[in-house]
Amino acid sequence: MSRLLDLARQPLLVALALIVVLLIVGELLSPGFASPTQIMRLLIVAALLGIVAAGQNLVILGGREGIDLSVGGVVSLSAIIAGNLMNGQDAGIPLAILGCIATGALFGLANGLGVTLLRIPPLVMTLGMLGVLQGLLVVIRQGIPSGRAAPGLSQFVTQPFLFGLPGIIWLWVAIGLLLAFLLSRTVYGYRVYAIGSNEQAARMAGVPVAAMRVSLFVLSGVFAAIAGICLLGYSGSSFANVGEQYMLPSIIAVVFGGTSLAGGKGGYTGTMAGAMMLTVLQGILTTVNIDESGRQMIFGATLLLLMLFYGRGRAMRA
Amino acid sequence: MAKLKISGARKAYGATMALSRGDLELQAGEVHVLIGSNGSGKSTLCKIVAGSVKPDSGDVVLDGKAVTVEGPRAAKALGIGIFYQELSLAARRTVEENICLPDLSMNGPFVDRTALSERAGRYIALFEGVAGEGFAADARVDALRADQRQLVEIMKALATEAPVLIFDEPTSALDRAQVDRFFEILRRLKTEGRAMVFISHRMDEIFAIGDRVTVLRDGRTVGSSRIADTSPQEVVRMMVGEEPSLAAAAPQASVANEAKRPLALSVSALAGPGFTDVAFDVRQGEILGLGGLHGQGQSAVLRALFGAAPVTAGSVTLDGAAYRPANPRAAIRAGLAYVSGDRGRDGVIHGRTILENVTPIHFLRNGLKLASPSALRAKATPAVDALKTKFAGFSHPIGSLSGGNQQKIVIARWLIDRPGVLLLDDPTKGIDLSAKADLFALVRKLAAEGMAIVLYSSEDAELLANSDRILVFNGGRIRRSLQGAERTRFNLYEAAYEAA
Repeated sequence: MSRLLDLARQPLLVALALIVVLLIVGELLSPGFASPTQIMRLLIVAALLGIVAAGQNLVILGGREGIDLSVGGVVSLSAIIAGNLMNGQDAGIPLAILGCIATGALFGLANGLGVTLLRIPPLVMTLGMLGVLQGLLVVIRQGIPSGRAAPGLSQFVTQPFLFGLPGIIWLWVAIGLLLAFLLSRTVYGYRVYAIGSNEQAARMAGVPVAAMRVSLFVLSGVFAAIAGICLLGYSGSSFANVGEQYMLPSIIAVVFGGTSLAGGKGGYTGTMAGAMMLTVLQGILTTVNIDESGRQMIFGATLLLLMLFYGRGRAMRA
Repeated sequence: MAKLKISGARKAYGATMALSRGDLELQAGEVHVLIGSNGSGKSTLCKIVAGSVKPDSGDVVLDGKAVTVEGPRAAKALGIGIFYQELSLAARRTVEENICLPDLSMNGPFVDRTALSERAGRYIALFEGVAGEGFAADARVDALRADQRQLVEIMKALATEAPVLIFDEPTSALDRAQVDRFFEILRRLKTEGRAMVFISHRMDEIFAIGDRVTVLRDGRTVGSSRIADTSPQEVVRMMVGEEPSLAAAAPQASVANEAKRPLALSVSALAGPGFTDVAFDVRQGEILGLGGLHGQGQSAVLRALFGAAPVTAGSVTLDGAAYRPANPRAAIRAGLAYVSGDRGRDGVIHGRTILENVTPIHFLRNGLKLASPSALRAKATPAVDALKTKFAGFSHPIGSLSGGNQQKIVIARWLIDRPGVLLLDDPTKGIDLSAKADLFALVRKLAAEGMAIVLYSSEDAELLANSDRILVFNGGRIRRSLQGAERTRFNLYEAAYEAA
């Protein structure tokens, strides 16, 4: 029995098991839910969320109540910038990618500097930044037409590329491998865990704590920007606050994947499973006609339940 | 009849015996001095009287009646007031509110502010003229200086109007005029027949105000005497006890040899929060001990040298070149190493593996970007083995180790790439005896191989046994340097308890 309980505390296994269960439930509720094309569509949507959650994951791992509530705003802004820079032309893709990543990095840098230099708690800093971004989006909407995705980008996101899977899936896999390597085989990764686990000890061991923390927020901005470009490719054109839906799920995916909100513990593999689980759940909720507000409530409740479930382990550690 | 009599009080925290046999006989109308070195059990004895620590055994007799002090409230009801060494003030409240906090003046369910101000005002008036600028009844405690906060704490203890008052190091932050005023008040309280316990580390104060002195050593009351019948030397002798020939145990490098070795670290006129005018040299291969009572600036100096605490004046030379301790990162690059006794705060990266805990310095000193676990294990193994660390594998969490082995891992991180100067800030605090022995065997070996080591230890025996030379700190300054045969417990205590 206790072995079973231990197993239930392995977040990755729990997530994978839940994905299977949810797929079966979905198929029962609506035959065709777990068909290959449908699963492919779910994977693409999961990849979008997973890429946003990659940055969220890094910020949370870095500790000191690290969290990035501005990711949704960056996704939206990035989708608009990408749409305008490429405006339906493949030739515009490189510039769009550069412009979006630079924008994401800039907002991430602002978040990071606010948190380290001005000592503003991440929750407040990134919430404030989200407000700034939302205002900016309203202003932009009034002056600039929403651009269109280049055909090449749409193809990358929606059409099979290699072994029948679209490019975005491969991009996600590549990000997963990159983060796994970064976190377990580089000095940077060791330092992320060190500052997340005991910032004072990390500083005494010569870790440049502030620079590390700023870099995590920058990475979060960059990942959100990449997700924004892909989102444009997925939907064809950008629309108002297209990225808003990512804030809460990106946090839930990270927590569900076993990363501690206190920092210093966890990794990206679990987060990927968490993103898939959430996407399947969202698919089921859509199938049974639960609208956006209902989904939001369910997601919020899921996060609270997760905190309850994994909270004990953290309390024991502290 | 004694006002308060404690006999055979005993208190253990796990395996650590804080007090093994505490006896104290306190008369009405006297100031009774309690003295003893670091960790001799003074504070534990006071806390037992105040009810904040429950003794394992022992009797407390108050006014001839056996009592059990069940807690701070019970102590208050019995008429025992205490001044705590660790300040217990509410930082965001005003001076007058803090003074009256143990016993607020109530008007029905509400605090009677007028009565509270009037009552607090009486105690504030006692220190009129010496409290300093900014000290007012309505000033917030967190806006006050350290000495002013200590005055509030004294007023708070006085405001209890308890027949038995305990002052645990009430004068440590006070200036001369404030101490004189405090002593005037104590003398008046004596004439009122109050019984007072007074703990201080300043011999001059003890002899100025005390009527009787009780000495504790290693958790036991070893003697009690009238102040008029004793002398500072006599008191120090009681604190020291039988002095074993400690100096013989130390691996004393010959002085002639020492002078030829190159200087590793040279500090002159260094000042910062908690220390002033600190100057010393450490040669390669030398173990320099920093001694004295807790918190006299030893730790502050070490942290400042490591760039973890501010320096306001002075200069440092490291291996012949000017060195400015900007931050720990720069210090590590310059070849300094620092081991804190507070491993939970400054050392251990909790919840991570042993490998992650042993490698951070290696990364920095070699400018590494990639972390290959197998290569790192190979690098870390000799360092970890040198300390005889017991562990199952590098991939196990640091939390699976005992405290002593955790500290060994934290120390081992400095040994993969040898530093030029090793700063040890009470490194054996809270670790077991065998781990201590392993650590000091290694420290001596490192010194023999040419490393310069600065050691602060709160355990005097450890310091005496392992240092080639000892600088005794008192009030943030170096009071005496003990070399060769001078390195005795007696000399150490005498310098530590001298008037600051």
